[in-house]
Amino acid sequence: MEFRDYYKVLGVERSATADQVKTAYRRLARRYHPDVSKEKDAEARFKETQEAYEVLKDPQKRAAYDELGSDWKSGQQFRPPPGWDGAAAGHARRARSRGPDGDAQFTDEQFSDFFSSLFGAEARHAAGARRARAGRDHHARVELDLEEAFRGTTRTLELRHPELKPDGSVELRSRTVRVNIPAGVTEGQLVRLAGQGEPAAGAGAAGDLYLEVHIQPHAQYQLDGRDVTVSFAIAPWEAALGAAVTVPTLGGAVAMQIPAGAQSGQKLRLRGRGLPGQPAGDQYVQLKVVLPPADTPQAQALYEEMRAKLNFNPRAT
Amino acid sequence: MVRVTTAVLEAHVLSEGDWIAAAQVCQLCRIDPEAVREFAELGLVTSRQTQGEWQLPATALPRLRIVSRLMRDLGVNASGAVLALELLERIRQLERLAGDY
Repeated sequence: MEFRDYYKVLGVERSATADQVKTAYRRLARRYHPDVSKEKDAEARFKETQEAYEVLKDPQKRAAYDELGSDWKSGQQFRPPPGWDGAAAGHARRARSRGPDGDAQFTDEQFSDFFSSLFGAEARHAAGARRARAGRDHHARVELDLEEAFRGTTRTLELRHPELKPDGSVELRSRTVRVNIPAGVTEGQLVRLAGQGEPAAGAGAAGDLYLEVHIQPHAQYQLDGRDVTVSFAIAPWEAALGAAVTVPTLGGAVAMQIPAGAQSGQKLRLRGRGLPGQPAGDQYVQLKVVLPPADTPQAQALYEEMRAKLNFNPRAT
Repeated sequence: MVRVTTAVLEAHVLSEGDWIAAAQVCQLCRIDPEAVREFAELGLVTSRQTQGEWQLPATALPRLRIVSRLMRDLGVNASGAVLALELLERIRQLERLAGDY
């Protein structure tokens, strides 16, 4: 596995004070937070930042990390030294230390192998598993494209739960489930899978699994709730005189009449052609008048003729 | 690691009109009930009491998760997180309008 230079990640000196570490973390967290950031690899950078802070903010972990010495470089092949007891530092703190978002069991958003080899991975899941109690509810994200949201789809999810074995050790259990997601889910909507959360320890009921639906941006359609908007190019004479056209919708192309006197930017509604639901969303067709280029004598003559004969001033109020 | 495969599951979509217990929301967002109460006071979510159970609309969960992440990861307080979320939503809305045309 590769060595990670946590000081370099946070951009601080090895001698940095706890306050300096915190300030550096706050600054980077704000810059790369996935909810806020527009940077390209924001999520990966944010995770890296969190992992570094997890170690450097904790005097015990930081001391253990510092023991490795300052000769290591980022990306260098690394193996913990014999007799390494950094896991004890992880162990002591395990009740409070958690992954970035508590979703680690589902989404593989765990810290790096490097972190795990130093401070123990399973330790993070062990806390609180000893009492008999109902299983907790869990939460995961699913990413769909717009077509899948329109038609409904099936997703295969791998769910992981730490399970306490009789000898007191913790084993990661993995289950694969196939989930039917019905047509018409929208951005941010929740989907519940009863009993698919964390299994109960002892005699409780299993928790539920909640999936939060995210719909990836589409090249052609803009989504707003269940409504979709599509930009549609038309010629000036189609706008002026009206025209019958075919427009794409999520369910396939449909015929539509452009009214005479339509303007660029105007929206026409196709009722019920958005995402299905109660009620179904609508599709808006936003007209965009595209002018023919005046790149031939003939085209120029036509424009000249309009200028001479139409007496048109677009800026007249 | 032990692997188990189960059959196909039917998903129940929670939409407008579905409510879930505040206790569940707290667990899913990893926030304490006090924070949820504060978010309700700040107008981020509505809540109701039904048969002695405190409930929140299912549609509120994504927003609650974002503000709780902002609080936890960036060290801002509840008002700051709500402000940031509202600004982010406005930016997204404007970007959508700008992208339309």
